Amino acid sequence: MISVRDLQKNFGDVQLFKGVSLEVEKGQAIVLIGPSGSGKSTFLRCINGLETFHGGEIIVEGTVLHPVGGNRPSRQDADEIRKVRRKTGMVFQHFNLFPHLTVLENIILAPVEVLGVKKEDAVRHARSLLERINLNGKEGSHPGQLSGGQQQRVAIARALAMKPEAMLFDEPTSALDPETVGEVLSVIRGLVEEGMTTLIATHEMGFAREVAHKVIVFDEGEIIESGPPEEIFTYPKKERTRNFLSRVLRL
Amino acid sequence: MRWFLKIISLLAVLVSIVYLGHHSHSSQSTLQKIQKRGYLLWGSDAEGGAPYVFPDPHNPLKLIGFEQDIAGDIAKQLGVKAVQSQNAWDSLIPALERGDFDMAMNGIEITPQRSRKVLFSIPYYVYSEQLVVRKDNTDIKGMADLKGKRVGTLSGTVAAEMLYRMGGVNVKIYSGQVEPYQDLALGRLDAVLLDLPIAAYYAKPNPALKFAGPPVGEGLYAIAMRKGDAEFKQKIDSIIANLIRTGELKRIYQKWGIWNDNQKKLYDSAAQTGYVGLNESRSAPIAGFLPMLLKGAAITVAISASSMMLAIGLGLVLTLLRLYAAQPLSSLATAYVEVYRGTPLLIQLYILYYGLPNIGISLAPVMAAFLGLGMNYAAYESELYRAGISAVPQGQMEAALSLGMTRGLALRKVILPQAVRIALPGITNDFIALFKDSSLVSIIAMVELTKTYSILAASTLRFFQFGLITAFMYFVMSYPLSLLARRLERKLKGAK
Repeated sequence: MISVRDLQKNFGDVQLFKGVSLEVEKGQAIVLIGPSGSGKSTFLRCINGLETFHGGEIIVEGTVLHPVGGNRPSRQDADEIRKVRRKTGMVFQHFNLFPHLTVLENIILAPVEVLGVKKEDAVRHARSLLERINLNGKEGSHPGQLSGGQQQRVAIARALAMKPEAMLFDEPTSALDPETVGEVLSVIRGLVEEGMTTLIATHEMGFAREVAHKVIVFDEGEIIESGPPEEIFTYPKKERTRNFLSRVLRL
Repeated sequence: MRWFLKIISLLAVLVSIVYLGHHSHSSQSTLQKIQKRGYLLWGSDAEGGAPYVFPDPHNPLKLIGFEQDIAGDIAKQLGVKAVQSQNAWDSLIPALERGDFDMAMNGIEITPQRSRKVLFSIPYYVYSEQLVVRKDNTDIKGMADLKGKRVGTLSGTVAAEMLYRMGGVNVKIYSGQVEPYQDLALGRLDAVLLDLPIAAYYAKPNPALKFAGPPVGEGLYAIAMRKGDAEFKQKIDSIIANLIRTGELKRIYQKWGIWNDNQKKLYDSAAQTGYVGLNESRSAPIAGFLPMLLKGAAITVAISASSMMLAIGLGLVLTLLRLYAAQPLSSLATAYVEVYRGTPLLIQLYILYYGLPNIGISLAPVMAAFLGLGMNYAAYESELYRAGISAVPQGQMEAALSLGMTRGLALRKVILPQAVRIALPGITNDFIALFKDSSLVSIIAMVELTKTYSILAASTLRFFQFGLITAFMYFVMSYPLSLLARRLERKLKGAK
C-alpha cells in the first residue's frame, strides 16, 4: 500500500538518499532503526510530504508524490500531498499538540475543518478514541497540563481521528520520561495488533523486536539491511548493523 | 477577524458623518453651499487667538472675540449660523485653498504676496504695530532704538517683515502670540513688536510690561476667500460695508478695546457694551473649562481607538504578505514597514494632510488623522505579529499540515491564535503609545485633547493648571491600559 521507489534527496550539496526503495503491504508493521542522522526521520517525513525530494517517487494507495526538489510544490502537487496526508497519520517526537486548544479540540479540529465531519459526530468519535488510549475524563484539559506520555497518546488519537490507512511514528518515545514510555508503546502495539499498517522509527530495540513484522536498518541514507526481527537482531549480515546493535544494546 | 472589520468600518462611518459636513466639494458656488448646509464655515486659529477668536472663559465650548462677532454678523446677514473651523494660523491660506472652509478671517494682513493667492474682501480693520518693552526699560522708546536688540514677533507677519527690513535687529520668531510676551517679561527678549489688538489683549494688562511709543505702521486686515469666488466676495464686501455704515463694527471694536482713531478712516458713529479681557480669562473658575477638555478627550479616544483598529488589521495583512506572499508583494510589505518605522510620524501626517492636496487628494482632518496614525502603527503591529508567529514552534505548522490542513487553514486555526497570544501584551503597549502620539494630530487641524489644552492655556495664560489637568486626563485614560497589559503578560507567562 506504500511504495517508495528510488528515492533521492539532497540537503544543499549533500546527497542523503541516493535511491532508497521500500514496499509496505497492508497491515504490515515496519520498524526503522539506525544511528541518529541516518535518515529514518527524513524518510518518514518524505512519505508524509513534510519534506520534498529530488528523485524517484512515493505512491500511497494509488496517489503519487513527485520530486519537486527545493521548489514550492505546484498547486496540483500540493493537492496530491494533502491526499497522501489524509491517508497517513503522523506522530512526532515532540507531540506537537496545539497548546491553545483542549484535548478534545485538538482531536476534532482536523476532522471538522478538513473532512467536514459534523461536530457532534467528531466529538463522539474523539471520545471513543480517548477511551481507547485510556484518557477519558481529560477532554477539557490543555496539553500543558498533561504528562509527556499522555500528550503523545493524545497526539496518536488526533492522528487516528482522521481515519488514516497507515500510521507513521517518528521516534514517538524519544522525548519521554522512561516511566511513560510503556503506556505509549502499548497503544502502538494495540494498533499493530488490530492490523493498522505502521511505520515506526525508534531506538526501542526490545519493542522493535516484539512488534515488527520487518525491521529496516538505515545508515548514512541507505537501507543497509532488512528482514524479520529475529534475523536482524540475532544474525545480522552486515558489519555496520552489528556495530550499531552492539552499541545500542549495551546501553 | 470579521467582527473587527465591522468595528473599523463602523468607526470610519461615524467619524466621517461627524466631519463630512465640513468637507463636501462640489460644483456649487460657495454661496449656494453655505445656504444649503445652513452655516458659514470660517477658518481661524483659536490658539493664542485672543482677542480675535478664543474660548469664552465663562463657557469655553463657545468662542468669543471681535472676529467671532464679525463672523456672527456676516452669517446673520447671509441668513445662516457661523461655525469656526480650527486651523493653525500659518496654514489658514493653504487650508482655504484646499476648500476646508468658505473664508479665512484671523488678522490676515493684506500683502501683495497673499493677494496673488487669495481674494481679499474690503478691509474690516486698520491695524498698527505696537512695540512693547519691560516696565523698567528706559532705552527703547521707539522703533529707532531697536538696533542690536532682541525683538520677538510672529512668523509670517507684517511685523516680522518690518523688523527684517530695518536690518541690525536680532529678530526672534515665534509661532504663538503668548510666548513672546512671556520671554519679554522673563528678560529673554528686549522688546516685542506685534499687531495692536494682540498687544492690547496680552501686554496691556501685564504689570511687568509697557507700550513703547505710539503704534507704528499701518495695514489692513481683510477676509480671505478663494480665487474665483467673485460672487461670494461681492456679497461679503456689501455686508462689511453695511456693518461699517450701521456702526456695528465700531461697537464691536469698542467692546474689545481695539478701537482707535485709525479706524475712523473706515468708520464713524459709536456705541459701547461688555468687554472680556485677559484678567477675566485668567480668573474664571477652572471647572468651567472642563467640558471643553472632556470634549477634546472624547475626540482623542475616538481617534486613538479607530486608528488602532486600522493598525491591527493592516498590520496583520502586512505580516501575512511578508511571511507568505510571493515576490514582489512580500518585499513591498517589508519596504512599507521599514519606511513607516524609519520616518517621523509628524512628517507622515504633514504629507497626508498638506502634501496630498498637491496631487489632487484632499483628506478631511479626521481622515488624515485616522489614516496617519493607523498606517504608522500598522508597521509596528506587523513587527509584533511577525515576532509572535516566529515564536510559534515549526512543529505546530508541520502537525497541522500532516493532518491534511492547507497552509491557510493551519495559519488561521493553529498559528495565528498562538501568535496573537504572544503578541497581545505588546499590542496593548502600542495602544498606549498610540494614545499619547495622537496628540500629534493637533497639527492637522484636529482639536483633540492636546490642542484643546493649548487653545485654553494660550487664551488664559494658565499653562500650569491646564497642563496638570490635561496630563492627568491622559494618565487616567492610559493607566487602565497599562494594568491590562501587565495582566496579559502575567497570564502569558502562566500559560507557558
